[in-house]
Amino acid sequence: MPEKRIVLGNCGATDPNDIETYLGKGGFKGFIKARDRLKPGDIVDQVKKSGLSGRGGAGFPCGLKWELARNAKAKMKYLICNADEGEVGTFKDRYILSHDPFGLIEGICIAGLAIGARQAYIYLRAEYHFLNDPLCRAIAQVKEKGFLKHLDIQVFEGAGSYVCGEESALMDSIEGKRGEARYRPPYPQARGLWGQPTIINNVETLMNIPHIIANGAAWFSAMGTAKSKGTKVFSVSGDVSKPGVYELEMGSSLKELVMDLAGAVDIKAVQVGGRHGNIIPGHMIDIVLSYETCLGPGAVVVFNSKRDIIDIVHNNMHFLNDESCGKCTPCREGTEVMLEILGRLRGVEGAAGDIDALEDLAQTMALASLCGLGQEAAVPVLDSLKYFRAEYVNRIEQSLFLRSYLGEELSKSKEGER
Amino acid sequence: MGNVNVNIDGKKLRVREGVTILEAAEANGIKIPTLCHIKDQVPTGICRVCVVELERSRTLVGSCHTPVSEGMVIHTHSPKVTAVRRVIVELMLTAHTGDCVNDTNAENCVLHNLASDYEVGAPRFNVKVPRFYPAEDSNPYVRRNLSKCILCRKCVRVCASIPGKNILSVGYRGFRSKIVAGFDEALLSEKCRDCGKCIEHCPTGALSAPVKV
Ligand SMILES: Cc1cc2nc3c(=O)[nH]c(=O)nc-3n(C[C@H](O)[C@H](O)[C@H](O)COP(=O)(O)O)c2cc1C
Ligand code: SF4
Repeated sequence: MPEKRIVLGNCGATDPNDIETYLGKGGFKGFIKARDRLKPGDIVDQVKKSGLSGRGGAGFPCGLKWELARNAKAKMKYLICNADEGEVGTFKDRYILSHDPFGLIEGICIAGLAIGARQAYIYLRAEYHFLNDPLCRAIAQVKEKGFLKHLDIQVFEGAGSYVCGEESALMDSIEGKRGEARYRPPYPQARGLWGQPTIINNVETLMNIPHIIANGAAWFSAMGTAKSKGTKVFSVSGDVSKPGVYELEMGSSLKELVMDLAGAVDIKAVQVGGRHGNIIPGHMIDIVLSYETCLGPGAVVVFNSKRDIIDIVHNNMHFLNDESCGKCTPCREGTEVMLEILGRLRGVEGAAGDIDALEDLAQTMALASLCGLGQEAAVPVLDSLKYFRAEYVNRIEQSLFLRSYLGEELSKSKEGER
Repeated sequence: MGNVNVNIDGKKLRVREGVTILEAAEANGIKIPTLCHIKDQVPTGICRVCVVELERSRTLVGSCHTPVSEGMVIHTHSPKVTAVRRVIVELMLTAHTGDCVNDTNAENCVLHNLASDYEVGAPRFNVKVPRFYPAEDSNPYVRRNLSKCILCRKCVRVCASIPGKNILSVGYRGFRSKIVAGFDEALLSEKCRDCGKCIEHCPTGALSAPVKV
């Protein structure tokens, strides 16, 4: 399947500094249709029927989320666009924000109509500070055109924490608190920002909305697989000759993406879904990309046969440990212990019980952590243990051998000294 | 609010809607261990010791903060729950560098008792650098030995609930989190007086009343 650019359709075709070019390409047609011809309930219905699910990682049905927020009774409702994009190996949101800010703003305008929000925030990753001014200028241009009478959009910059991309931590961050996850329920749709019903959607999710409203739900749901509709934007990096942002229809295979499009040749493993994403071994490259299999936020990192799996997993854990907010025990302590074990294995200092310890910890973290970071931190560890167990076993045997050998050498040299 | 039907450990119960699983269980004589929970205060779900198995849920759920709803089937001591609790206690013991063996107060330590209830011996895990802090004697009313702290944040919350206090907070991030006063300064007696609330709530020996000499 070739690339299918819908979300990215206007990237490069319009000038991100000039709304006229966007209008010339049919921009804001979806919004005008939603505003003049559809009731809020109809917009939600369209999104529900389209089968659009969240592109930020969790894949929660977008229409259902909107319906819950729409039906919640409150004086104030909020809409947040999650542009925190902290996941290692994702850069699709940056690409969208810098090339097609108007598409995103149109999506936000429609979402605001649908759920009845009067205040929207774009939560911008701290490292994307350079996008703050262009975004504000784009918002001002949209306002001038009179499309923002129902909604105020503010850009809110984060402070550089990965966990603040997690929806509840993100709200804490906007409220001015320490960015830490909250327990759920209550879900943000019922009680979110400042205790009011709140919708949080990823940049790419909102980018799909104008197309769904303009072209109809049936058009959208005709694309993709049984449970994953539409297209997905992938950020491909690692050992490939053409890294970059690619948009494919849901249900395309990983092989098409990394080999045909990105030009990978030698593939030992591919990590799909960022730092806590699945590790797919090279021989399973035909796997289909959809929410049913593996997807996450669409980060795809390719590793060639020169890479060491334990090194990769250690590097993952280093990141997650560093970014753990430290609120709940399993993740705060578990990532630290895993880092210690993986660090030893990497330095050929493994011990006999290491694999068991990793598996026990993985189960506890997955079952008992408070938020997605801790729950998914062990996914790459478990995947690598599943597909590359021999490397772990080898490394432990090497460690044991080395220790006994070095032990003998050491005692010999000590005898020599005496 | 009406009542809902739930099933906890095979007991069919009718409980008031809106109460938490923990409250429902306790009211019916089922004991669930807790560390960070403070009765009648807003829960935080930090320590994760109170997790229980909820049928049809992907993960275990914290019983101190999850409200009951109609038809819930809950297991508070299934093998899965026990295994997870054991690893959590083991993790708490790993990073904690207390000298509990010769601590005269060990039988009052909630963590110590939890570890013996769940038959957790010496932890098999290691960390590169355990959290170690010198004990602080700067305050005549509270002795702080943060090496024994398990970051349950009860002291932060009880202190914040006293009007005009709110002296403690959480500093740093992740594994290096620490309960701090101000910008990680000494706990001075101008601010912290002799209410002793934090000592009362501390589940380990991290906060204690100084021994008068
Ligand atoms: C640790 C962690 C980090 C996350 N980071 C992001 C992020 O950077 N951007 C994002 O859109 N969603 C992120 N999410 C997912 C959000 O919590 C949330 O599911 C998403 O924003 C919902 O939007 P969607 O339904 O449109 O996908 C993260 C989740 C976790 C657990
Ligand atoms: S799982 Fe990790 S990041 Fe999430 S709340 Fe717990 S400690 Fe914080």
